[in-house]
Amino acid sequence: MKAKVITNFAAQFGLQVAFNPDLVIEKNGRFYLINECLLPLVRHDFFYIGVFLGKAKEGKFFPSFNLLSMLAKEGGNRVVLDRKSAWLFICGRDVLPKSILRIHGSGKKNTNTLVLNEFGECLGFGRIVGKLSGDGKSDEIAMRNVSDVGDFLRRERY
Amino acid sequence: MSGKEFFLSRYQQLGWKYREVKLRQAIRINASNVKGKNLVGRLEALGVHLQKIPFLPTGYWVADSKVSAGATAEYLLGLYSIQEAAAQIPASLFCDLKGKKVLDASAAPGGKTTQMADLMQNTGAIVALDVDKRRLTALSNHLERCHVSNTVVYLLDARQTHNLNVKFDRVLLDAPCSGNFASDKDWFKNRTIKDVERNAALQRELLKKTSECLTDEGELVYSTCSLEPEENELNMYWAIKNLDLEIQEVNCVGDSGLTNVFDKQLDPKVARCRRLWPDHTQGFFVCKLKKGNKQQ
Repeated sequence: MKAKVITNFAAQFGLQVAFNPDLVIEKNGRFYLINECLLPLVRHDFFYIGVFLGKAKEGKFFPSFNLLSMLAKEGGNRVVLDRKSAWLFICGRDVLPKSILRIHGSGKKNTNTLVLNEFGECLGFGRIVGKLSGDGKSDEIAMRNVSDVGDFLRRERY
Repeated sequence: MSGKEFFLSRYQQLGWKYREVKLRQAIRINASNVKGKNLVGRLEALGVHLQKIPFLPTGYWVADSKVSAGATAEYLLGLYSIQEAAAQIPASLFCDLKGKKVLDASAAPGGKTTQMADLMQNTGAIVALDVDKRRLTALSNHLERCHVSNTVVYLLDARQTHNLNVKFDRVLLDAPCSGNFASDKDWFKNRTIKDVERNAALQRELLKKTSECLTDEGELVYSTCSLEPEENELNMYWAIKNLDLEIQEVNCVGDSGLTNVFDKQLDPKVARCRRLWPDHTQGFFVCKLKKGNKQQ
């Protein structure tokens, strides 16, 4: 049951992932993946443990960047951005068709897709809202930014 | 007993003459996350010019930079961390961390925790403790950004480590300390000898309690960013007299630990410690201790 929320989320990217439910821990709606070495060290009052996978709040799942990176390694829906747009994406900006170097997966409207830079590193994910491949001039947004690693900087402000 | 004159006269008695120091920003490459990637080349392309720190395996000075080193994609992806050069030394002194059970007794904000996780290649386990909940949030963000997977974090005073019922192969005690003027421009204004004495007493308690949780043959690395001998050499002298700990030789940058402190003669083994007066780095002190070595 604990791992179900994660596998459901992964399915949005066309991925089937499996986690050992004994190694997934939930605390206050936050999910963590631990390994065998950490298992004997777990007490109920931990603050953070293993790999943070994401949090569930009011029925919605908010993935961690570690989880997104893990999913990106598995395949699934991914777009690769050029260098400038990768930086703009990290700054919270949406994506135009001309910024997209490659598309892996369905690329269908109203689906989620992982966003990678030219080095194959996962920067976050977005929701496809228009055509991913344009004529190179289109200023119509292809993908809305949902979550990006620039969040680490934004967290430091508070 | 406080003020710049008071402390500078102490440093002079200890053999060091004060000079202004301008600290350079340093980074540490997270080797586990960088495998097969040309990080230095990528940063150069962004206008971040690096200079290798000769005494650190994965440390670089930021020679000059067109962008903030803390706001690049490479930083956000956990390929490197910003960590002062001297602060990179303690974790590097342990023998073979891989697969070990490690205590980071005063962990936040997590620079040394992520460094140890990197050296361990995320094997074994780190228990990271701190007493400040807000700082634990910063620590957790740091762990997440650096893709650390072998660490559990507790809001716990390291003097209560025994409550975990765990014996550790390695303990890093980067102790809460008085700091130093090189990294705090108001240091001379804010510090008194009473603060130093209070910190030294806390550090001895931490040494006692954390060393009790070491396995036989376990290693403890003690460090502070204080220049005050009460928090450094005198504490190490106290530790080898009162705890089952012996100071180990280390191969690292810095001056030998002081063995004569304000006319008090210490055990010659205290010279095995390393003291870094502010120069290329902030002021720093580090000592490696091993348990159960009294016969050596």
